[in-house]
Amino acid sequence: MKAFLARPIVRIILAVVIAVVIIVAPITSSPYVNYQLSIIAVFAVALLGLNIVMGYTGQVSLGQSAFLGLGAYIAAYGVRMEWPIVLTFLLCCVIPAAVGLLVALAAARLRGLALAMVTIALPIIGVPLAKRFPDFTGGSQGTSVSFLEAPDWSGLADDQWRYYIVVAIAVVLFLLGRNLVRGRIGRAFAIVKSNEAVALSMGISPYRYKVLAFTVASLFGGAAGFLYIAVVQYTSPETLSFATSINLIAAMVIGGSASILGTILGAIYFVVLPIAAGQIDASRTALISGAVLLAVLFLLPGGLVSLPRRIVQLTSGAKRRGGSTPANQTPTGGTAPDGTAPDGTAPGNTAESAAQKQPK
Amino acid sequence: MAYTIQLIVEGFATGSIYGALALAIVLVNRSTGLINFAQGSMGVLSTFVAFGLIQLGVPLLVAMLAAFVFAFLLGAGVERFVVRRFERGDPDTAVVVTIGLFVFIAGIAALLFGYEPRQFPSLFPPQSINIAGVFVSMRSVGTIIVLIAVMILLQLLFRFTKLGLAMRAVADNPQSAGLSGLPVSRLLMIGWGLAAVLGAIAGVLVAPQLFISPTMLDFALVYALAAAILGGLDSPVGAVVAGWFIGIVENLAGAYVDVIGDDLKIAVPFIFMLIILIVRPQGLFGRKVTVRI
Repeated sequence: MKAFLARPIVRIILAVVIAVVIIVAPITSSPYVNYQLSIIAVFAVALLGLNIVMGYTGQVSLGQSAFLGLGAYIAAYGVRMEWPIVLTFLLCCVIPAAVGLLVALAAARLRGLALAMVTIALPIIGVPLAKRFPDFTGGSQGTSVSFLEAPDWSGLADDQWRYYIVVAIAVVLFLLGRNLVRGRIGRAFAIVKSNEAVALSMGISPYRYKVLAFTVASLFGGAAGFLYIAVVQYTSPETLSFATSINLIAAMVIGGSASILGTILGAIYFVVLPIAAGQIDASRTALISGAVLLAVLFLLPGGLVSLPRRIVQLTSGAKRRGGSTPANQTPTGGTAPDGTAPDGTAPGNTAESAAQKQPK
Repeated sequence: MAYTIQLIVEGFATGSIYGALALAIVLVNRSTGLINFAQGSMGVLSTFVAFGLIQLGVPLLVAMLAAFVFAFLLGAGVERFVVRRFERGDPDTAVVVTIGLFVFIAGIAALLFGYEPRQFPSLFPPQSINIAGVFVSMRSVGTIIVLIAVMILLQLLFRFTKLGLAMRAVADNPQSAGLSGLPVSRLLMIGWGLAAVLGAIAGVLVAPQLFISPTMLDFALVYALAAAILGGLDSPVGAVVAGWFIGIVENLAGAYVDVIGDDLKIAVPFIFMLIILIVRPQGLFGRKVTVRI
């Protein structure tokens, strides 16, 4: 299966099929479905940012929603002031990135809980702060803007046009993010995650790479904020609340930390869960979400993306377990609870293998 | 002046709530090295147990005692069946586990009782007492006294009982404690149970004022985490003192500093926390840890 997927021709065909599906989907779907698909793309970008700092670099960030909200507010303001749309988008990336850089310069000195606490402050203080400046944010009422209407020549409905714009930007950002984590910087992230002392001895400054990861995460968060308001056309302090951050983390872990495909699965989960739970009973969303998160942590530490691999392991595990498998090699890219999991050997890609925790 | 003193006493009382939760966080952190983000929601669920019993006509004090027993079992059970699997692993995963617990337990409370805030009877009479021209509510005084009593009890437990000694040994060095024959895992369960009881105490103390709902302690938890860092994550005294400090300072800042006001006073503990983290990362009362590579 793996060898089959690795063949270039198969990969190209697969990519073409996916591209065709992505392009054709909005033409045949209802506006409601297009809206949800666009929202998945929006949160995929925000989750990719979170995954870069948390999944790939191993730094807990509870503040991603603040950058999402900041980006959304900047975009709303830019549209109301009638700035050129490209400039607005760039500001939505640059300003949150600058804020993230400033926070990271102080926060990246800390580790573990202290870091989580500094990042928790962003949404907690962000919400009253947003209410404090109603001219900019619309206060607790929120602010709504409408832009990105479909031009006449395209012959598309607004929802289709927005879908194409949002998905196109998301695809570009994903390609950038993928290149980042697969390249030299991504390997540096992985070694910072697994062991800072080793990183230092290899001439990689953990501090610098943590700051970089935070900044990139904030940039993706801000860009996602722009896309968010393009699709939803409304934002309020709710967008940047702590609850959003918690849900983003849950979705990231459930999808698969330190994995690009897992990020997309996480975004699908993030959007589909409230809809599915709402069909049953909206007040059970938290219960279901918490239960799914705990179940994934127990049974599938690599997230949904590791499900096929896990099934293969469980079915062929009995045979392999007798062999001479290194005990501390888990196929889950560092998110395994510890090194003693007795399951199989299938190595992930190089970045994932490098990211595995050394027993301390 | 009377108003200022009143603000200070009120801050003392809210600070006691933060202190109780911070104490719970410190207890858990000392024994298992984890930060339990579910500490608040566990306290809320226990408070809901008291609430349910009161609805059934059980007297308030009995209902509270039942809630504390429930909290102990809940804390011990969570340690045994959920957290233990992740204790020696990656700390980031453990943080996510407690976040999952936080969402899940709040979800249980919401499933049983809904999100609607409801009234919860107070242990203390609603009057205020007049001390030299300063009006102080019985609730504030009661809350402060309860927290001080709890602290003294905990000190007695840790200083003068065999159980307390064993728990300190496990917190200090689980491996040697295990080698000298202590039942480490059972002691960890007891530690988590005690922490959950502290959360429940905070819950029943604050519920009459905030009204009981699944998200009641969310903000208190954030303050408590800040207090735990401010005081030092391994110092119970530090946690309580920092809780009081935060309660008082935020009340005064909210009232007297115009820029901050009532809505932004939650920023105050974070500002102090940031300063402490930069100047003295181990906290005001904490011990410095050197990491061996």
